[in-house]
Amino acid sequence: MTAADAAARQPQPVQDEPRRRLHPLSPLLHGAKSIAIIVAALSWQTLSQVGLERFALVVAVLAIGVVIFSVVGWLNTGYHLVGRELRIQDGLLWRRNRAIPLERLQAVELRRPLLAQLTGLAELRLEVVGGGKTEAPLAYLTVRDAAALRERLLALAGRTRAAGSVPTSDPAAAVPAAPAVERPLLRVRNQDLVISQLLTPQAFFLPLGVAFVVMQFVLEGSWTFVGIASTFTAMAGVLLQPIRRVLQDWDFRLAQDADGRLVVRYGLLETRSQVVPLNRVQSVGVTWPLLWRAKHWMHLRLDIAGFANPESRGGKRSDRLLPVGDLPTGRALVFQVLPGVDLLALRTFPPPDRARWLHPFALRYFGVGLTDDVFVTRWGLLTRELSLVPYARLQSVRVIQGPIQRLLRLATVYADTAGGRSGVAHDRDVADAWVLADQLSVRARLARGPAPLSTGRAAPPAAVPAPAPSPSDESAWQRPGPA
Amino acid sequence: MTEPPASAPTSALEPWPDAVEWRRVSPKLITVELIARITFSVVLLAALLIGWIVAEHWLWLAAMAAVVVLAVWRAIITVRAVKAWGYAERDQDLLVRHGLLIRRLSIVPYARMQYVDVTAGPLERSFGLATVQLHTAAAASDARVPGLPPAEAARLRDRLTALGEDRAEGL
Repeated sequence: MTAADAAARQPQPVQDEPRRRLHPLSPLLHGAKSIAIIVAALSWQTLSQVGLERFALVVAVLAIGVVIFSVVGWLNTGYHLVGRELRIQDGLLWRRNRAIPLERLQAVELRRPLLAQLTGLAELRLEVVGGGKTEAPLAYLTVRDAAALRERLLALAGRTRAAGSVPTSDPAAAVPAAPAVERPLLRVRNQDLVISQLLTPQAFFLPLGVAFVVMQFVLEGSWTFVGIASTFTAMAGVLLQPIRRVLQDWDFRLAQDADGRLVVRYGLLETRSQVVPLNRVQSVGVTWPLLWRAKHWMHLRLDIAGFANPESRGGKRSDRLLPVGDLPTGRALVFQVLPGVDLLALRTFPPPDRARWLHPFALRYFGVGLTDDVFVTRWGLLTRELSLVPYARLQSVRVIQGPIQRLLRLATVYADTAGGRSGVAHDRDVADAWVLADQLSVRARLARGPAPLSTGRAAPPAAVPAPAPSPSDESAWQRPGPA
Repeated sequence: MTEPPASAPTSALEPWPDAVEWRRVSPKLITVELIARITFSVVLLAALLIGWIVAEHWLWLAAMAAVVVLAVWRAIITVRAVKAWGYAERDQDLLVRHGLLIRRLSIVPYARMQYVDVTAGPLERSFGLATVQLHTAAAASDARVPGLPPAEAARLRDRLTALGEDRAEGL
C-alpha cells in the first residue's frame, strides 16, 4: 500500500485532456423530469378547470421551453480530468467551474432512473467531503463511460492497488476498465423485503385509511374522476414511504470487488450501484424496529462522509448496507465491513442507576462499550439501535453536561464522525465520562497511526492495526462511579 | 463534587487538572458581550416604549420591567460565562470548554483539523479581540475560542495550522 501511495503521490505529468460532454440525450431526459414536475405542480384541479386541450397545450409549451433550456445547458456543460482533479464546468447564467480533488472522494454511485435505463444511460454521483450536497452529479453518460470513469476516479483516488499503475495522462486508460472480478457477499430476498415493509406503521394503518376513503365516497355518493384522482394522490402520500423503500431496495445485492471495496446494487425503477472503499466507512448503524422483532430482523446503515444532508430522513440517501436481514447475515456483514467486529461479542455497560430519573423506562437499553477497534453505543426502548464508530474515524470528542445531569452527577459523551451521526454515550457517571472521553481520544490517536507524515496523506488508517490498549485502561472506565 | 481518587477529575469543568493548563479568554470579552446585550435590550425597550406611547396599557410597562430584569440577569450570567470559557493546547489535541448551565468540553485532535477561521466583528475589533474557530470534517465539532487578543489569536492560528499540517491526513 505504501509503495502504491508513494507512486500516487508523485507529481504526475499534467496533460490537458479534451473536455468531454455529457451524452447528447441528457437534455431530453432532464426535460422529461422537469415536465413530470410541471404536470404534478399543475395538479388535477387545473386539469378539471381548463379542460384537457388547453392543459395539453400549456404542458407542451412549457416542455419545449424546458428542452431548449436544457440543450443550452448541455452545450455549456463539460468535464475533464486534470492530474488528480476532476474539473466540471456547468451553468448557463452563472458559470461554475469546479475542481474536485480526488483524494477527497468518499464513494461513487452510478444511478439509473427509469428513463435512463430505457435509453442505456446512467448518472454518476460523487460523494466528496465538505460538500453540502452531492457534488457533481454527472447526468447522463452511457453506462460504459460511466463505469469506466468510475473505475478511473476510484483508481485515481489513490486508495487502491491500481493507484500506481493507472497513469493519469494516458487517455486510453479510460477505455478498457474491464469488469473487475467481484465476490458476491449477499443478496436480500425480495420476499423478505416486501414483508419487512409491510411490517411498518404506515402499512399497518393502510386498512384504516382505505376504510375512511370508501366511507366518504359511500356517504357523499360522488364518484367524479377528479375526486378519485385527488384521493389517490393523497393516499399515495401516506403509502409512499414503504412502497418507495420496496422499489428502491428491490433486488439488493452486495459484493466485494478485487480491491476490497464494497459494491452495493439495488433498485427497481431507479437502479443504483455504489462503490464504497471500506476505509471510507465512518460508522455503521444497526436498527431493530419493534415490528420486525418477531422475525429477528435488523437493518444496517452505512455512514460515509459527504453524504448530502445527514439530517434528512428521506429515502434519497444511499446509505443502506442491509435493508433487512437476520442476525447471522448482519453479523457476517458487520464483520466484513468493520474487520474484527463481532455483533454478538460487543459488551456494553449501562449508565449508573441514578440516570433512571432521566430515562424511567429505557435505561437498561442504553449502553456503551469500547472494543479494540470501535466505539459501541446502544439505545432505544421500542426501536433498538446500535452504533459502531471506528476509532480511526473519530473527528472530535465532546462532553456535555446539562443542569439536571449536573444534579445527578452525569454527563453525556459524543464521539463525532464526519458522517454526521455521532456515537453518543448518554448520561454516564461524570468520572466515567471523563475517562471515556480520554480513552476515546487516546484510542483515536493510536488508530490514526503513530507517526505523523509531513508529506501529506498518511497511510490509510484502517490498514494500521491499533495497538491493544493496556488492560488497566480497559477496566478503568468500567468501574462504577463513586456513589 | 467529592471524588476520592487523586487522579479523578475534581469538577465537571476541570478534567485532568494536573495534566492540563487551562488558558482563559480576555476579560475584555465581558465588556464586548455586555455592550451587545445592552444594545439589544435598549432596542427592545425603545420598541416597547413606542408601543406604550401609542396605546397606553399596563402590559407594556410590565414587559419593559421584564426586559430590564432579564437584561440584568443575563449580564450576570455573561460575566460568569466569559470566565468559564477556557482552552488548552495539549500535545495532540485542543481542548475547549464553555457554558455554565450546559457545560461543554470539546476535544479536537490537530490531525482532524480541516481549516481555522479567525474572525473579528466591528465591536470585537474595537476592543482588540478576535475569535478563533477550528473546523473538522464533522459538523458537530465545536471548537470556538472567542475573545483572544490579536497576538494570541495569530499565535494560536499559526500553531494550529502548523500542527495540522504536521499531522494532517485524509479522512
